[in-house]
Amino acid sequence: MPAVRAEKLYKVFGKRASRAVELLSDGRHRDEIRQLNVTAAVIDVSFEVRAGEIFVVMGLSGSGKSTLIRMLNGLLEPTSGTVEIDGTDITRLSGAALRQVRSRKISMVFQHFALFPHRSVLENAAYGLEVRGVPREERLEKARHSLGLVGLAGWEDRLPQQLSGGMQQRVGLARALAADTDIILMDEAFSALDPLIRRDMQTQLLELQASLGKTIVFITHDLNEAMRLGDRICVLRDGRVAQIGTAEEILNDPANDYVAQFVEDVDRTRVLTASSVMEPPIPVIDPGHGPRTALRTMRENQTVSAFVVRRNRQLVGAVREDAIGEAVRTGATDLAGLVDTAVERVHPDTAVADLFHQAAESPYPLAVVDDDGRLVGVIPRVTLLAALAPPSTESPEPAESPEAPESPEPAESPEDADQATSPPASGALAGSDEGSRQ
Amino acid sequence: MTAATMLAPLEITLPKAPVGAWFEAAITWVQLTFKPAFDAIGEVIGASVDTLAGLLTEPSAAQLTVLAAAIVAFGLVRRGRPRPAALAVAVWLVLAVAEGAAGVAALAIQNLPAPLFLWAMGLFGADYVDPQLVLALLLLAALVATSLAATRSAAQWRLAGGSSAALLALFVAQHILGVQPALLVMLLFTALALAVAGWRLAVFALLGFLLIISMDKWEAAMSSLALILVATAVAVVISVPIGILAAYNDRASRVVKPVLDFMQTLPAFVYLIPAISFFGVGQVPGIIATVIFAMPPGVRLTELGIRQVDKELIEAGEAFGAPDLQILRRIQLPLALATIMAGVNQVIMLSLSMVVIAGMVGAGGLGNDVYTGIARSDVALGFEGGIAVVVLAIFLDRLTGAVTRFSPAARAQRAAR
Repeated sequence: MPAVRAEKLYKVFGKRASRAVELLSDGRHRDEIRQLNVTAAVIDVSFEVRAGEIFVVMGLSGSGKSTLIRMLNGLLEPTSGTVEIDGTDITRLSGAALRQVRSRKISMVFQHFALFPHRSVLENAAYGLEVRGVPREERLEKARHSLGLVGLAGWEDRLPQQLSGGMQQRVGLARALAADTDIILMDEAFSALDPLIRRDMQTQLLELQASLGKTIVFITHDLNEAMRLGDRICVLRDGRVAQIGTAEEILNDPANDYVAQFVEDVDRTRVLTASSVMEPPIPVIDPGHGPRTALRTMRENQTVSAFVVRRNRQLVGAVREDAIGEAVRTGATDLAGLVDTAVERVHPDTAVADLFHQAAESPYPLAVVDDDGRLVGVIPRVTLLAALAPPSTESPEPAESPEAPESPEPAESPEDADQATSPPASGALAGSDEGSRQ
Repeated sequence: MTAATMLAPLEITLPKAPVGAWFEAAITWVQLTFKPAFDAIGEVIGASVDTLAGLLTEPSAAQLTVLAAAIVAFGLVRRGRPRPAALAVAVWLVLAVAEGAAGVAALAIQNLPAPLFLWAMGLFGADYVDPQLVLALLLLAALVATSLAATRSAAQWRLAGGSSAALLALFVAQHILGVQPALLVMLLFTALALAVAGWRLAVFALLGFLLIISMDKWEAAMSSLALILVATAVAVVISVPIGILAAYNDRASRVVKPVLDFMQTLPAFVYLIPAISFFGVGQVPGIIATVIFAMPPGVRLTELGIRQVDKELIEAGEAFGAPDLQILRRIQLPLALATIMAGVNQVIMLSLSMVVIAGMVGAGGLGNDVYTGIARSDVALGFEGGIAVVVLAIFLDRLTGAVTRFSPAARAQRAAR
């Protein structure tokens, strides 16, 4: 069961909202129904958020993302459609029951922190529990704990205004964590912070998430932030879903021109990982084979080097064609002493940006090795370069990327890549081209 | 066509609207229908003013003791121990009412051994035991004991000890040394100013009230002060809920605004007339007229204060599942308090400006002096009354202004600097 499920959500502001929903569900653009004097903020949005994932909703201002997140905890009532939290349809709940869901299942972090200026940091952090009626000592203890988690131990007695912006948002985060809900909604939580502090906060959120495993719905307008944090990303455009998928899917396989344009400026090297750009390790040489076999294998594949891999795919090292050729001439019968074991190994989750240094130093392609020491792929230098070019969904202007036509396809095995980094994107309910109207 | 025909007066006769008569009829009807209610209201207000004026001019030992107990209880509430304080006060209230109604405490005292009280009677020169004083002393003792036992706060200990010591000093000064009550009350005002607003206002209070005593206007000033405080209390009790309602509901706000404008611009004398017909001549119609005249800023600033609270904070409350009433109590009211207090300050100032008009209907006090001064062309009398009003006004204004500094929002703002 998904932690959060949105099904055909519409939010239209204005008196003739239901008529507008009819027109919109026929596929009209929201600008076409302007004469109804309504504002369509969210149009036909469906998605599922799995327990324990960070689901990022990304869109520019006016794309309806803030409206969307407020429907997830019932602060706004959808015009039509349903929102399920742990299988409960909250759009049917009345005031008290809805408040119960909010205080026990969903907490929220706000763009401008929304800390209570008249309460101390500790009392702010304890607010969720206070609403729930937890006794004073117990809730303060839990609040102290969650303040410790976000690195604010020792600041409990200050007032929020005495803290810097980044620290204030940590208090906001601590307040959500102390409420001890499974789901946390984060509405542009880091957008009001300086870039450097924003990056710190993202790192801290990822670290916390690794140990706490909350279900997080994160709203942002910053694509780099979305790519960095999101297990999956939902791109909103004009109130509709443009695409839902992992960062790599959105980068490498944009559903339409809008998304493609959007991801153009992304620093691809920070989003793409070794596993998403690597190529199948061909050829490989078994350490039991002799130099002749090895030489033949390499010549057949027209390479000057090859990795030596055991039957169970454990990486031993690499060999070079010139050394093997010399060995064949001198009549050596096995590869012992010819295998260079000091090859550069990288983990599948390493960001491409972190590969360049190693790639420049190594005489071989980079070996992508998983946690068990098995060779799962290789990255030749040319592949690394090709990964920098955006995918050619529309005919690119030649001047922009002259290498693109000559280079091989950047990621030949996206399936493998996805399994290594994140769950497969079967939950992409939308992804049609509806949003691509230009 | 001649010029004469053109200039013939074209007079359109409009029907006469007997608005005044309608109003009078309505007033009479209301008066006849709700007479018991008005009588009760008048009774309560009159009693409150008399008690307060009595406290200010001739404070009884029991009243002073209750005052000291209230200070200690306030400290307990602020330091997170509201329950024992509320319990003690509730028990005292029940006993005090029972004593007032049936003389329960007096009966108990009569059955206790006399030597328990004789020494105190001898010390203070009292010729009987006031049961209310005994009850008040018990309340104070309970609260001081709670302060010592239930809090670890040295400030609370100082507060409890200081209040008790000050009370004892007052008793000694009044009953053993024989200092007149006016000077003692003046010292209390000075102490209040010192505690709330700092030494400047304390010096002003000392000099100002000494001037009032020297002008022989002390009783009149205290009578006016009692009237103002009761009028302010009534105005706040009515205006804050209306302000909250107006802040929550745009339609209520649209209805309330013109009514407030009407109340403020209608000459005060005009609603003094029906007030007299409802409550008779005296303090009560003066207070009612003052309440009507002084209430609008209380409503307006309450509404403004609550509407000014950041929407994201309300949303945060909602997002964590807080019910509306809790959001009002724990988020909106604390953050609006500074603005609401500015409204209370305005209410007090407007009440002061009504003192003279209230004097015209026999409310007594400084207004009476000024009015008599006008009637007899007695410049000296009128001026002295006026000066006393100014002293009261400055004292009250600075005092309420300083109280605003203690509001949660103001504390937060100071923290930001």
